[in-house]
Amino acid sequence: MEWYQWLAFASLIICVGSLLFHFFRLIRLGNPKDFSTPLGSPKSAMGYAYTGSMSPTKKESAFLHLPTYTAGIFYHLGTFLSIFLFFMLLFNFKTEGWITWAFSFCLMISGISGFGILIKRIVKPQMRSLSNNDDYFSNLLVTIFHFLTISAILNSAMQPVYFVSASLLLLYIPVGKLKHTLYFFAARYQLGFFYGWRGVWPPK
Amino acid sequence: MEKLTKEQIEKGLAVIKDFKDSKLLTHLNSCVRCGLCADSCIYYRAMPEARFIPAKKVDLVASIYRRYNTFSGKNFPGLVGAKDLNNETVKEMIDLLFGACTMCGRCTVHCSIGVDISYLVRCGRAMLSNMGMVPKTLQSTIDAAINTGNNMSILDEDFVDTLKWLEEDLQMEVNDDTATIPLNEEGKNVLYTLNPREPKFFPLSISAMAKVFYAAAESWTLSTKMYDVTNYAYYSGNLEEAGIIAQRLHDEMENLKATQCVLAECGHGSRAFRWEGPNYIQKKYPFKVLTSIELMADYIRTGRIKLDKAKNPDKVTLHDPCNLVRSGGIFSEQRFILQHAVMDFVEMTPHGNDNLCCGGGGGQLAMSEYNERRMNIARLKANQIRATGAKVVVTPCHNCVDQLTQINVTFKLNVQIKTVAEIVAEAIIL
Repeated sequence: MEWYQWLAFASLIICVGSLLFHFFRLIRLGNPKDFSTPLGSPKSAMGYAYTGSMSPTKKESAFLHLPTYTAGIFYHLGTFLSIFLFFMLLFNFKTEGWITWAFSFCLMISGISGFGILIKRIVKPQMRSLSNNDDYFSNLLVTIFHFLTISAILNSAMQPVYFVSASLLLLYIPVGKLKHTLYFFAARYQLGFFYGWRGVWPPK
Repeated sequence: MEKLTKEQIEKGLAVIKDFKDSKLLTHLNSCVRCGLCADSCIYYRAMPEARFIPAKKVDLVASIYRRYNTFSGKNFPGLVGAKDLNNETVKEMIDLLFGACTMCGRCTVHCSIGVDISYLVRCGRAMLSNMGMVPKTLQSTIDAAINTGNNMSILDEDFVDTLKWLEEDLQMEVNDDTATIPLNEEGKNVLYTLNPREPKFFPLSISAMAKVFYAAAESWTLSTKMYDVTNYAYYSGNLEEAGIIAQRLHDEMENLKATQCVLAECGHGSRAFRWEGPNYIQKKYPFKVLTSIELMADYIRTGRIKLDKAKNPDKVTLHDPCNLVRSGGIFSEQRFILQHAVMDFVEMTPHGNDNLCCGGGGGQLAMSEYNERRMNIARLKANQIRATGAKVVVTPCHNCVDQLTQINVTFKLNVQIKTVAEIVAEAIIL
């Protein structure tokens, strides 16, 4: 591995280690102890929390904001693809031919989506009012990661820049709002538990 | 506002420092400020200003958490939007967490991440409560409940007098001199609770429920010592005071050796005693707790009462109280009752778990300083009701009845507002 790959590898270890710290802290703290008598099933509601309740037909945050929601979905799918390609590049696996172009196309769409979300945050006064530096910085880091992934899989000369950028992103994930990588799942778990206990979810 | 003391700040911060479980930590770290919750909030819908976006309310609490409890917030507050707890932030918290949120939980259901926003608002309120910053209007309601046993400071003799003439009315209505409204009787199946606004302003809703109990031949009683179903300390976030109120009803259940505690039609009261109460007092109840809605549905289902829906011929719509439905799981029962008690039932759009709050929840009706805002957001509910074309609006919550009554007058809806018990009593065949 080259120095920049080692740098990215070390950043990955720090990132995963930090997220594991957050994860085990949640595990150690445990579920809320509820003394009330349950009316429903937390288990089935937790399943619903990760599936049906996330459906665009159920959530106003989705169906009232379809362009943003769609951009968000592309953006996240692109991020997952970028992470997958990060491991490929880190361990010197190569993509070739039409697959490389297909990945590039997908990442172009997701990168543009991320950039669009960033522009929306900058341009709309209400979003600006809601935002802090972390919001802009996190979005920028991830969007750049998408675009640099394209450049790295198309042109290996770009790999030093790509891995330095990826290292910065990995080191920043546990610091700011990007740690919703972990807390998103915890939040939906808690919500499923809460609504399931009270018989609200799954809907009757 | 006087400058905050160090002790006040420490007491406020204690709420977001000592985690008993993973719930608070999770939600404090989850919001990504996407702002997509805005349209789910009745405040933002009625007054589209950035400060009313639910995520903004979350950030009031989460930014303080970050400042004092995270590495990045302690060292790079400007980078991660971490804020000090000071006079400026407290002023904003009071205005937005108490004055611009009914804790209806609608934003929580629709949050793209799953942040329990109303829970975080309640934690923010708990911080303010620890600091002695609860609006005086709300605190006086809690003080009345703690000092007198009910939130309207009704004297025992006035309460008993009211029940006596209601009993005479009941006897005339059912044409039975033995019909009673039992008081403080031990060993009954049901201890029934009331919202103090019933004996104070709307005694006919007590008559209605007494008629239902009579028709069902229920073994029941009221208590003069503890009948108040409400718990406004749930709204202030003061767990200690909420615990005192919940403990009293628990103790009265044990004192009267009743089998079931039946909660009157009160959304937050049901939530505070049934769901939060056992956690306030840190033990399971040794008795069953249910709402009068569930009980009435059961009477109908088992044939203990018979209804004639022709006695309620007008078009009826239903307002779902947030605490009873979205946070309490009581969705089907009130619909089952209305299907048997009225000729023409029409749903509001949206309804059920998605229903819009009437605007009276979260202690808003007690905090008169926010009246103008409260009636601003009420326009949404007025439009919902008007769109149904109903002549009668039924809601299983006295707090909602109060707000809907004001909405009815302000927006000239010309509808009747009723509780479920009133509708059922009207339809009962004796």
